[in-house]
Amino acid sequence: MTEGELWAPLTLEYPFTRTTGPVIGAFLTGLREGVLCGIRRPDGSVLVPPVEYDPETAEPLAEMVPVADTGEVVTWTWTSEARDHQPWDRPFAWAMVKLDGADTPLLHAVLVDDPSQMRTGMRVRARWRDEREGHVRDIEGFVPEPPS
Amino acid sequence: MAGQRCAVVGVGQTKYESTRGDVSMPGLVREAALRALADAEMEWADIDAVVIGKAPDFFEGVMMPELYLAEALGCVGKPILRVHTAGSVGGSTALVAASLVQAGVHGRVLTLGYEKQSESNAMWALSLPQPFQTSVNAGAGGYFSPIIRQYMTRSNAPDLIGCMVAFKDRRHALRNPYAHLHQTDLTFDQVVDSPMLWDPIRYSETCPSSDGACAMVLTDETAADRASKPVAWVHGTAMRSEANNFPGRDEVNPAASRQCAAEVFAQAGIRDPRNEIDVVEMYVPFSWYEPMWLESIGFCDEGEGWKLVEEGVTNFEGGDLPVNCSGGVLSSNPIGASGMIRFAEAALQVRGMAGDHQVDGVSKAFGHAYGGGAQYFAMWVLGTDKP
Repeated sequence: MTEGELWAPLTLEYPFTRTTGPVIGAFLTGLREGVLCGIRRPDGSVLVPPVEYDPETAEPLAEMVPVADTGEVVTWTWTSEARDHQPWDRPFAWAMVKLDGADTPLLHAVLVDDPSQMRTGMRVRARWRDEREGHVRDIEGFVPEPPS
Repeated sequence: MAGQRCAVVGVGQTKYESTRGDVSMPGLVREAALRALADAEMEWADIDAVVIGKAPDFFEGVMMPELYLAEALGCVGKPILRVHTAGSVGGSTALVAASLVQAGVHGRVLTLGYEKQSESNAMWALSLPQPFQTSVNAGAGGYFSPIIRQYMTRSNAPDLIGCMVAFKDRRHALRNPYAHLHQTDLTFDQVVDSPMLWDPIRYSETCPSSDGACAMVLTDETAADRASKPVAWVHGTAMRSEANNFPGRDEVNPAASRQCAAEVFAQAGIRDPRNEIDVVEMYVPFSWYEPMWLESIGFCDEGEGWKLVEEGVTNFEGGDLPVNCSGGVLSSNPIGASGMIRFAEAALQVRGMAGDHQVDGVSKAFGHAYGGGAQYFAMWVLGTDKP
């Protein structure tokens, strides 16, 4: 701030709500139950997280299918200093995790201590929270499988 | 009128309700879009581009909703464009869609406006504090109430003209299955006795908060000629805007409104709007805006608008210039869609497809929207015959 510059606080906040609809709602309900779900497209591929409408044909999608809570790291980046609201308060990796049974990857955290423990193609498993509410953070993060 | 001919060949609306808790935002827009496609006897593959409009992002807290909604609107791999003009956005969005057809850029355009007010708070979004300014925190009603009082003073209108408009539009809404408010037992006295919300605007003289979406399919002449149902030809389109505060601004009758109306009527070859327009769908979120816009648009002389209301000229039953036969914004207000509903209802009237609120023998209809602090104006004239 330069001397003489006018300055005033301006905080805009509003607690918006969201109607999740049948597909996202089912995905979130699954998380609360400790089950990861995707949605099957007519060609048999499974999208995780699910979407309401086919990304190519725009046809409605309705066949929810459970997928495993284990999978493979497709790509990742290291976060050496965690920021507020991030999944962990220590260094961690953001990763695209392709769950077993899914054809598209899900963005989540991999909870390891050091980037040397990360590699593309590594196997990971979801670490579920005990108290779940129907939110993507019902998964605390993914950990290497078997644990390193 | 400049450019290629353009027509409305399909209209789709959701039922307007206070809360559509059964559908997501994509599910809501999808419903209106599918109905418009069905009316147009088209499929997703027939559409070349999508033009979408909604109120400012603060209303629901979704940034760039056009990207989020592209899959629901069958728009992957096609152009999608969002229009922003506050409350008038539904009208402006339809006009941008029409301009793409008129310019020969696209032959078949899907256009849609929506709002899910249940997921937001328009009152909050319209009253955001600004640094170094006093926050009035009174929403749209607080903004418009002194302007309405200025109109009442200037025109010597009787105090209850606004109540007459509100009662009329709520009666009209009973004829429209899509309208949000269906107040079957409402009496005129109840309107008059309703609480004073933003003096001089009573509770029953204000629009509701609604969830809903409205869509139209606009095409070029080739596609319109192939349509099996009646189409509504675009005879004139105009948009104008102005700042909401400058010295000498006439807030009751903004210059942008008068200029927009003059332009749209000139394009449509209309010299006597009162006699040449058969039905009007006008953006009236607060009752008094009906006489105010009647004057500003040129359906009557300045100071005479309230007399048209008083004489019943704007009634569906017995009026020679029926206004808001659908029930208007006073009966359904999904903000981002409200302007498009006016434009779509004008199209339905021209196509003879307005159901129980169809006016007999419509050959030309007028659709109107305004937004911001009465700063943005969008208008079109539709007709049964090719322009």
